[in-house]
Amino acid sequence: MLITENLGKKYGEFTAVEDLSLEVKERSVFGFLGHNGAGKTTTISMLTTLILPTSGRAFIGGYDVVKDNLKVRNLLGYLPESVTLYGDLTAVENLRFFGKLSGVKNIDSRIDEILEMLDFTEWKNKKIKTYSKGMRQRIGIAQAILHKPKLLFLDEPTSGLDPQGTKAMRDILQKLNAEWGTTIFMNTHLLSEVTKICTDIGIISNGKLLAADSLEKIEKRFPEEKSLEEIYFKIEGVKQ
Amino acid sequence: MNGILTLAGKEMKTAFKDNIFIIITGLFVILSVISVYVGSSTKNAEMQAYQDIIQMLKSQGETSFPAPPQIFHLSVLSNIISYVSMIGAVVAIFLGFETFSGERVNGMLKLIAVRPVYRDQIVTGKLLGGGAVIGLLLGVILIFNITLFIVVSGMVPSISELVRLLLFFLLAFAYLMVFYITTMFVSIKTNDSAFGFLLMMIVWITVSFVLPQLADSQRSFAYALSATAQTVTQVPSDTVISKTIELFSPAAQFQNIGKNLLQVVPETANASILSIILQQIGAIFEILIPGIVLLTMSYKSVQKEEVL
Repeated sequence: MLITENLGKKYGEFTAVEDLSLEVKERSVFGFLGHNGAGKTTTISMLTTLILPTSGRAFIGGYDVVKDNLKVRNLLGYLPESVTLYGDLTAVENLRFFGKLSGVKNIDSRIDEILEMLDFTEWKNKKIKTYSKGMRQRIGIAQAILHKPKLLFLDEPTSGLDPQGTKAMRDILQKLNAEWGTTIFMNTHLLSEVTKICTDIGIISNGKLLAADSLEKIEKRFPEEKSLEEIYFKIEGVKQ
Repeated sequence: MNGILTLAGKEMKTAFKDNIFIIITGLFVILSVISVYVGSSTKNAEMQAYQDIIQMLKSQGETSFPAPPQIFHLSVLSNIISYVSMIGAVVAIFLGFETFSGERVNGMLKLIAVRPVYRDQIVTGKLLGGGAVIGLLLGVILIFNITLFIVVSGMVPSISELVRLLLFFLLAFAYLMVFYITTMFVSIKTNDSAFGFLLMMIVWITVSFVLPQLADSQRSFAYALSATAQTVTQVPSDTVISKTIELFSPAAQFQNIGKNLLQVVPETANASILSIILQQIGAIFEILIPGIVLLTMSYKSVQKEEVL
């Protein structure tokens, strides 16, 4: 579903991402781990066509993210770390706007379908500015999956959510992955969430990919470490 | 095209759901309506005073009467020139100051940019949306004005007067769009909406008040100098310096053309519309050129990565 070949991004002399080569398989849930400033958001920005790589290539569904950016955008959904949406508009009005931009047909019935799946129908006609953080995050997910994307990018999707909100978000992602076969690529700090939801992980530090494999294989490679947290620090420590 | 219309529709919807925008817009509409009412009443009073004088002269047995005051119908609407120039510009600034910076800060630009739309389409959509709001606003004011003009003054505008009025509103639309485009450009360039708004208020004060005031002061100074030196018998109404200062003020240009179109200037009150346009063509370009330049720069700037 997603392949990157020596992908890199430089801002002047500063290298944000360097020689990133990885593959994310179809229907997998890929957790992209790294400390603040490691290059996770820059990577997502390149893959979602928001910024141009300065070196290397990336393909989504076989399309080049630079040359075929419009086709790539049809395949992906994106939820940034902080979503505010249009506060003066209702959930339905926000979703109608994003659905139309994505070229979704029968938009109103699709919105109803998505909101029902997210158990949000009750609040659909309330203005976004009256929602809690967790509710906004759910509408954020709704806008990202409205056009049934093949690949969903999430930047810290559970950041700032309470335990109930975090669980609700995890349930939604698992449902999307199981029922729609959506491939998920998520940046996260929460290692506990990664173990519960991800099938594959990648660890990035200072712009360089330190490891990328299935969670199972990575855990087997470090039999002495008792948790993903220990594995994560081991990998970062070993490689640095 | 679908994406552009969707973006334009969203701009309209969010504008009309913003309470502050509605208050400023309401103020704009109310003031323009009051200005027509006051203008019509003043002209009616002028005519009434003339009729009273004639009656009085007749009762005194006079047979020769003074000529009636020359009242040009559209001059009743003259106050609207100032309202469009002042408050209309603020409405346009308010409409545009968060178009990019606000959406960048709350992450909405990224959500739009990951959709299958080109970045120049985002600018076009916002331009169309803002233009539709301004056009709608001016359209409502135009209808109110014509209706009130007929009701209060009892005069029905001729075809030629209607064309003048329509041209004035077209010019007002172009003038307000220049402010909207300038604000949109500032919004693309800055991350801080409050700073962008303040900057545009400074631009507004400069082009609407400071420069016209400077030009007026220079004219008065030239008049006083000429009168003192007694070098000329007829003082020119404009000086080269004051005209040069007004070149940098779209507000002054707009007011000058507006006064000619709305029959405030007696010399051009009966002139053909074509001759007014030809006479003011330079001023029209001086209003349009900043808008065209800044719109081109907006399309160019929005392609940069840091815009998102």
